[in-house]
Amino acid sequence: MAWNEPGGNNQDPWGGRRGNDGPPDLDQVIKKAMDKMGGLFGSKPPAGNSGGGFGPIVVIALIIGVLAALYDSVNIIDQREQAVVLRLGKYYETLGPGLQFKLPLIDTLIKENVTRVQSKSLKSKMLTEDENIVDVAISVQYVISDVKDYVLNVRDPQSSLVQAAESALRHEVGSSEMHFVLTEGRESLASEVHARTQKYLDSYGIGLTVSKVNLEGAHAPEEVQDAFLDVTKAREDEVRLRNEAETYANGIIPEARGQAQRQLEEANAYKEQVVAQAIGEASRFEQLLVEYQRSPEVTRERMYIDAVQGVLAKTPKVLMDVEGGNNMMYLPLDKIVGNRVSDSVSESGGQHLTASDLDKVTRQVMDEIRQRQPSIRRTREAR
Amino acid sequence: MSSKGLFASIFVLLLLVVAANSLFIIKETERGVLLKFGEVVDENLKPGLHAKIPLVHKVRKFEARVLTLDYNPQSYLTQDKKPLIVDSFVKWRIKDVSKYYTATSGEEISASRLLASRVDDGLRRQFAQRTVHEVISGQRDELMQDLTKSLNQVVLADIGVELLDIRVKGIELPERVNEDVYKRMRSERNREAREYRSRGRELAEGIRADADRRQIIIKANAYRDAEKLRGEGDAQAAKIYAEAFNKDREFYSFVRSLKAYSETFKSEGDVMILDSDSDFFKYLGTPNAK
Repeated sequence: MAWNEPGGNNQDPWGGRRGNDGPPDLDQVIKKAMDKMGGLFGSKPPAGNSGGGFGPIVVIALIIGVLAALYDSVNIIDQREQAVVLRLGKYYETLGPGLQFKLPLIDTLIKENVTRVQSKSLKSKMLTEDENIVDVAISVQYVISDVKDYVLNVRDPQSSLVQAAESALRHEVGSSEMHFVLTEGRESLASEVHARTQKYLDSYGIGLTVSKVNLEGAHAPEEVQDAFLDVTKAREDEVRLRNEAETYANGIIPEARGQAQRQLEEANAYKEQVVAQAIGEASRFEQLLVEYQRSPEVTRERMYIDAVQGVLAKTPKVLMDVEGGNNMMYLPLDKIVGNRVSDSVSESGGQHLTASDLDKVTRQVMDEIRQRQPSIRRTREAR
Repeated sequence: MSSKGLFASIFVLLLLVVAANSLFIIKETERGVLLKFGEVVDENLKPGLHAKIPLVHKVRKFEARVLTLDYNPQSYLTQDKKPLIVDSFVKWRIKDVSKYYTATSGEEISASRLLASRVDDGLRRQFAQRTVHEVISGQRDELMQDLTKSLNQVVLADIGVELLDIRVKGIELPERVNEDVYKRMRSERNREAREYRSRGRELAEGIRADADRRQIIIKANAYRDAEKLRGEGDAQAAKIYAEAFNKDREFYSFVRSLKAYSETFKSEGDVMILDSDSDFFKYLGTPNAK
């Protein structure tokens, strides 16, 4: 190796370790060194142990150097970690977990945690394909899959990851319509971003693997949030209006059916009623007729008198025995009937007795009286 | 003895200085060029330990890893003359080390500046050939590949740099256009909301009207059936009456009149003014009448 060519062990900073197999050699080296020191400052004979203040300092420095080199060369690599070893700057090997050694100063060892899932969150507004703006937040989870690539290939791999994810996200959102992004597209969007991010990362040879992309939120920007909420409310309104109308329909139709049923029942009842009445009345008439035909005179007389009796028994009456009376009669009919007209109408209910009927009857009675008066006079004259 | 010691010491020091100046390490993450009196003699030093002659040779080391050029958002005009604010980044790597050294004298900042102006130029050209819609949606990949390919040859020849990737992180509309977009989005949503509500009302009205119609039909049918039944009843009754009464019409009218009289003068309010001459009173004055 080029390094070792120019000088002896003394020139190698780590040479001390190589020469020292045990304490005796160390003593020799120290002695030699002290000799040299002595020679360097040139005043004292070489054999003397009067090396002034320099001897112990050099010894201590050497011991510290050796210990530091030992400490540096022994490495404990955790189960979660892997280490990249660069020997003289060149990639040498990748070390797994356990107690690992390296050459001090020649080797450089870079440890990275390769099992920890790291996460980065992105959130921003972006344009969709239909030139709307949506607010999308994702988180990208990733692990170091190739520690050598991770350490050696890309400067600042973490921010490269963020850039790749951001670019992938924008690309996918930019190729989707807003409605898709906000609703059913969430799942597929995340997986598209995942694949695309991974593709970008692979092209850089970055040694990172995206384990999962979560779409944490996709919604309309603050500025138009209320309009979007209103759409949701409008949808609810639609359902509500329909329900209300159905409530109305469900209310009136059965009610109408009930009413129809009642009408039919009433009509049926009427039919039965009138037919029954007719049968009854007809039967009554026919039976009476049989008896009447047997003895018409008597039956007729009896019936007439019965009926008139029935009528006269119940009504107030004025009997005019004209022979003993005056030619002029005053009948305060209005007083007798007057106030009762309305009463009698209402009392008589279904009977067709009105004030005009009453007038008619009264007029007939008066006519009758007037007609008979001459005959009365005649009879008087005859007496 | 003392002069020998001194000499030895000086020699050791000299050796140290020479060694420090003649040995160097190129790390895995670096590339180096070896210069001899300023002239490039080895343009691609691999990682590892190397030796050089002090004072004669000089070494310049450059980054070998993938680098990122992430510059500020720029405003570009599209084919349809709409401004877009584009945030992009470039992944690049030093490929031709000696070219890179000569073009940039090894300074990353100046390399970035050169690269940025070229990418910027290229993006501006690409955007000018496309509409907003094309830029935003489908053609992003195509746009970037075109640009990467065409720029790659130029920058490799000019500054010894290889472009891995040009990516657009964000394409935004300028703030004042954003407002318009929000307005449009709002109006679209309003339209949609209005449609839902109107559709709800439409449906509701239809349902109500249908219910009303069914109600009216039910009632009308019921009326029809009821009247039919009543008519049947009336007809049957009339038939029965006619059959019975036709047996003796005179007697029927007598009976019916009597019934009518008694029905007519039922109330106590009715007043009758009678002449004693009537048939009913024929025995009232004279027991032996007629």
